[in-house]
Formats: sequence, C-alpha cells, structure tokens
Amino acid sequence: MKKRVVLFVIIALVAVFAFSQVELRVSGWGNPTEEAAIQEIIKQFNESQTEIKAVWEPIPDFTKQIRTMLSAGTGPDVFFVDVAWLPEFAGKNTLLPLDLYVRKENYDLDVFYKPLVDAFRYNGRLYGLPKDFSTLALFFNKEIFDQYGIEYPKGLMSFDKLLEICQEFRAKGYETPLVLEADFNRVIPFVLSNGGRLVTDDLDTALGEPLSREGIEFYCNLVNKYQVAQESANLGADWIGDAFGKEKVAMAMSGPWTLGFVKEQFPNVYNKMGVVQMPMEKEKATMIYTVSWSINRNTQFKDEAWELLKFATDKGQEIFVERTGVLASRKSIADQDTDVLKQAFYKGAEYGTAWNVPTPSGNFSEANDQINSRLKDLFYGKITYDEAFNQIEENYMKWVEVE
Amino acid sequence: MVGYLFAAPIILAVLAFEFYPVFTAIFYSFTKYQPLQVQQLNNTIIPEDVLSMHLMVFPDDEGLTVEGLKKDFDLFFFIETDVGITLNEKQRAALQYFDSDQLLEDFLNGKLQKDIPIKEFMSNYMTQDANLFKRYVPEFVGLENFKDLTSDPYFWSSLKNTLFYTAIVVPIQTFLAVLLAVVANQKIKGRNFFKIIFFLPAVTSSAAISMIFKLIYSKPGVLNRMLGLSVDWLQNPNTALPAIMIMNIWTTSGYFMVTYLAGLQNIPGSLYEAADIDGATFWQQFRRITLPLLRPQIIFVSTMGIIGCMQVFDQIYFLIKNMRNVTLAFYIYRNAFEYSKMGYASAIAMVLFAIILIITVVQKKVVKEEAYF
Repeated sequence: MKKRVVLFVIIALVAVFAFSQVELRVSGWGNPTEEAAIQEIIKQFNESQTEIKAVWEPIPDFTKQIRTMLSAGTGPDVFFVDVAWLPEFAGKNTLLPLDLYVRKENYDLDVFYKPLVDAFRYNGRLYGLPKDFSTLALFFNKEIFDQYGIEYPKGLMSFDKLLEICQEFRAKGYETPLVLEADFNRVIPFVLSNGGRLVTDDLDTALGEPLSREGIEFYCNLVNKYQVAQESANLGADWIGDAFGKEKVAMAMSGPWTLGFVKEQFPNVYNKMGVVQMPMEKEKATMIYTVSWSINRNTQFKDEAWELLKFATDKGQEIFVERTGVLASRKSIADQDTDVLKQAFYKGAEYGTAWNVPTPSGNFSEANDQINSRLKDLFYGKITYDEAFNQIEENYMKWVEVE
Repeated sequence: MVGYLFAAPIILAVLAFEFYPVFTAIFYSFTKYQPLQVQQLNNTIIPEDVLSMHLMVFPDDEGLTVEGLKKDFDLFFFIETDVGITLNEKQRAALQYFDSDQLLEDFLNGKLQKDIPIKEFMSNYMTQDANLFKRYVPEFVGLENFKDLTSDPYFWSSLKNTLFYTAIVVPIQTFLAVLLAVVANQKIKGRNFFKIIFFLPAVTSSAAISMIFKLIYSKPGVLNRMLGLSVDWLQNPNTALPAIMIMNIWTTSGYFMVTYLAGLQNIPGSLYEAADIDGATFWQQFRRITLPLLRPQIIFVSTMGIIGCMQVFDQIYFLIKNMRNVTLAFYIYRNAFEYSKMGYASAIAMVLFAIILIITVVQKKVVKEEAYF
C-alpha cells in the first residue's frame, strides 16, 4: 500500500514538472527539406530557453484542415498563413494582432522588406511576420537562345519586346518559345504593369477597365492570337517549371521554387539558364507570394507564441534559408545571399504586390476559380473577350460576397 | 431492457454520428454559417492589453482621463477588430448598451489585467442584451440558399454531370459485373486467377488508381500512344467525365462481381441440368435461369451503384481540374471548405440527399425485390 502511495506521488510530481512547461503547438506545411529545417528551428528554439516547449505538428492539406480545426477550437497556437487567405483569416478574427507587442518592445519591422510586412496588415493591424517569400521572374534557356541566334531577354523589357522575341523564335522555326498557365495570379503582373488595377474602391472588380483589360488581353493573346505560348499540360509537362526543365520552351515566368526543382531534376538545364525581372509596360510589377508566422487568437499562450515568432523570423530564418534556399524576408539575411540567379527575385520584393485580392467576404477562391475558367476559355477561343469580361463583371459580386 | 443495453453503443453511435450531423446540416442549409466565426466568443483576451493596443497608451502613462481617452475610443472598431467579434446587425444595434465609461475607468484603475473569455467580458460591460454575446448564432436566411441554387450555373452543370455519370455508369457496371461473375463461375482452368484480377481494382485505394489513370490519360500517356491521338483526356471538357466513368466502371465491376458470385452459388445446379436435358442453349439458360434468380443481387447492386455514383467524389477530386466537369459531391466540398460557404454547401447537400432518396424510393416501388419472373 505504502509503495503505491509513493509511486503515485512520484508520478504526480513528474506530471506537474512536465506540465509546468508551456507546450506550444506549431503547424504548417512544407516539402521534406523544408520540414526538416522547421524541425531544426523548433529544436533550437526549445534549447534557447526553458519555459516553452514548441511542438511541430505538420498539416499536409492545410487550407481545408485549418478551417475545421479553428472552428472546432482545436487549432494550433502558431501557424503559417498564406497571404492569399490573410484577408479571410484576419477578417474573421482568427489571428492575433501583433501591434501591442511591436509597440511594447519597440520591435523594429524595418528589418523586413516593406511590401512583405504590409502584406500581413489588415484593417490597420499586423497579423503575422513574414517567414520567407517568392516573386515571379522570367527564366530563359541560354542554349536555346544561342542556337537560334537570338539576343538574351533583358529584365523589365516591354511587353512588345517579349512578343517580338517570341515571334522571332517562331519565324526561325521554334514551335513554342513560352509556357503560360491560365492562372489569374500569373496574369496580375501584366494587369498592374499596364497601369491597371484589380478592384475598385468599393471592392467590385476592375478587370473590365481599359488598362486592366489590355493587360489580360495581351497575356491571352500570347496563346490564342500569336500562338507563341502554350499551357504546360499541352507540352507534356506537369507545371511551368517542369516544361522549362524538359526544355520544351525557351522562356518561362515562374518563382524561385523552380530553381531548386530544375537544379535537382535537370542539372544540365540549371547550368545554362538565366533569370531576369518580369517584363514591364508602364510600371514595374510582379507577384509576391509569402507566408507568415501567425498566432491563433484562440491560444492561451500569447506571450510564448510571440517569443517563437521572433525567434523563427530571425535565427530561425537563417536556418530555413540556408537549408531550403528560399528567399529571406529579413534584409540582413537576404544581403548575404549572393546567388546570381536569385537577384531578380529579390529585386521584385521592392516593388511587387502580394497575392491576394481584397473582397467583401475576405474569400477570393470562388472568384479565382471562375476567372481561371474564363482565362482557359480565352486561351482556346471558346469565348470572346467581350463575353468573358461581361460575365466577370456581371457575376463578380456574387462570387465574393459574404456567402 | 438488457437488450437495449447491449444495443446502446450502436444506438448512441448512430445518434451522435448520423442524426446529429444530418439535422445540423439541415439547419445550416437555412443559414449563412461561418465556420471561422464559431470560436470568436470563446477566445480569451486581456482587456487591458486590447485597450492599450486600441488607444495606443498604457494605463500607467501620465495624465490620462476617461474623458481624454473617450476621444480616441472607437467602439465598433474596438469590438470588431481588437476584441475580435464579427458583429451581426442585432449585435451592432445592441452595442448602444455597451458601457464604455465603465470600461475606460476600469482601464485606468488597473482592473483589467486578467485573462477573460470574450463572452464574459461582454456580459460585464453590456447593460442590456448581454445574451446576444453568449455564443455564435449563424445568420438565419430562410430559403435564400435554395433560391441562389437555381441561378448558379455550376450547380446545374454539376447536377447534370452527376445524373449523366450515374445514368451511364450504373447500367454498365451492373451488367458487366454479372458477366464477369458468370465467367468467373465457369469451371475453367485458372478461374481463381481471373477472380483475383477482376477483384484487384476494388481493393486498391482510389488515390493510387487515380494517379495511374492520370498518367494513362495524360497527353504523352499510354492511351494516346496506343490510339495514335494527342488528346488531353482529363483537361478536355468533353472527354474528362467519360474518362472518369470508364475508370470507375473498371474499378467497381470487380467489386460487385463478388456479390453476384455469392448469388450464383445459391442457384441450384439441378435447374441447369434440367435445362440442359430440355436442350436449352447457354444463352437461354443465362436469360431464363441466371438473370431471374440473380434478381435480388441485381437490385442490391444497382441501388448501391446509384447511391455510390451520385456521391462520386475522390476520382473527381484527384483528376478533374475544370469546374465544368465536377459533380455535386465535389461542388459541395468546394463550397464548404474552400469558398467558406458552409450554409450554401449544406443546401446543395440537402438537394443531393433528396434526389438520392427519391430515386431509391421509386426504384423500390417499381421493382419488387421478392418477385420472380
């Protein structure tokens, strides 16, 4: 009997000791290399102090599962938020505003690229610190350019120049110089660069305005009118980077994730490619894709979560960038990155626009699906531009309203 | 009594996992249920911190007065963004009863330093109507979701796709499975081998099968190479759905074959012997003996087939990109988990439920299970 009591006391003590540490659940997603890097960050964070124990709980199908977890009140304490869903997640008050911490500690936000911090502001409040980022740039295959005796493309060249290069290839018998997707976010740089805008002041669509429309028409004309570009699926490739790596095309517009992919899968192509900034007509434009470390508003451990955020975007980011080769959102870490191929992407961070579209409901995914399906129809001439823009303008508010 | 006790686990499970979800879904179909808002009132805040953030001052700063703070205090922004409640119209109107003066006074007196759930915080400072802030109530919209359905082109196209899919797949898979069963039931060499081959797709995960067919159907894939064509079967809106149908018939026929095999074992051999003596051909035996005696199985298979086909989801999820080729089940999922239109998704689910119910009831009425030819 006595033995039992002693045993019970010991167990109770161990339990109390174990629970005196705050357990912080951290969720996100990543390919195997990224996950290993995140685990390393968590490990070093746990070693850096004694009160908090962070635990990594990856969620593969993140967007869908996090919604269910948040609505059930079982969400992780800290998680990644893609800037594309920030308006919805912040607008529905699922994320903790960080402004008080920033003010209390005089935390310097200028260490990050400004568009990246602004990307996670909503209604004047800050809802996350940028984990890393990607932008779009123009990839080209030097060997194919040499073969056809065409001058390499330059960064920030005009739309006409891009078309001219493509047509030169066609004239010299090269079938498909460029790969494009019917993907709205890939079209946005063309809209913005042409001086257009995505939404009006009252959040209705502005795609039908002349400048916006011109940008979209230029993009689709590359496929259906000038026939110098194709979708990757038509080239026997899974995605843009795959088509570029398989040397089905001479040029592609894609992000830094393509660098790692080509390096690994098609090392010989990696050695003969160049990357320059996106074409521009009136203004410099590119798309910024970025993910933040954010805090669940439902968490019991707000201060502890903030500690993790600070660590993850500083020391943690160094680890992450070093291991995975993504672009650093912190300028001091970015400056150490001297990779020639990455410079065009870093430049984009200075003038790019974050990939989300403000809507009344905060959710843009239905409108995105609908617009993409129109883009696809335009690629193959199934509808005219007038029809497409009329359909978009007529139905847009229904796609983005609060249900 | 003891009987009910023994049955209790399953009864409870049915209540918890069937009745509750079904009835809440019916309820949600009349609302604009917002999953991300459900926890808002359960979140905890430290009111002092939230106010500090809102007013950009700390309570121990010099020279603060309630009157002075009131100028910077924006009640709606404070509640909606800093406390974090997405207000509905009723709550918005009720905020006139919010005691801002008391709150600011407590702020200056340092009474707000403790963690507190938002619903309690609200009930402390609402002089009236505090019960509006007790828990999340989805906005009731009556039949609006169902009205929206009628003018949603993707609802109609996905409904059409679902019915088309069912109309083609069910008869073919039902009949093909009978043939396979009869063949596999013959006393021929290696029939176990055939049974295994036919049944194999049914035990393979649909994800794996989908991936294989993705390769087969792709533009540089095997199918195009055999046919000498260059069609992107899954991307082309005209071929995408038939491609999925063929795949699904192939997967399910083997599964239903097993049902028929069990039925065939039950048919007395003497019937065939008698027919043989009477000089009936194989085809006549098949039509006059096998098919009629398999009737219960055929009804079972076609019912299950209809239900399964009306709910087809995973293959669409894995293989179809174009919204024009999706089915109802997939459109429900899209609305619920991607567009955050939980109420609308529930409404579509109710329509799907009604359609399946009607078809099955009609089928049961038209073909009597027990009757023989």
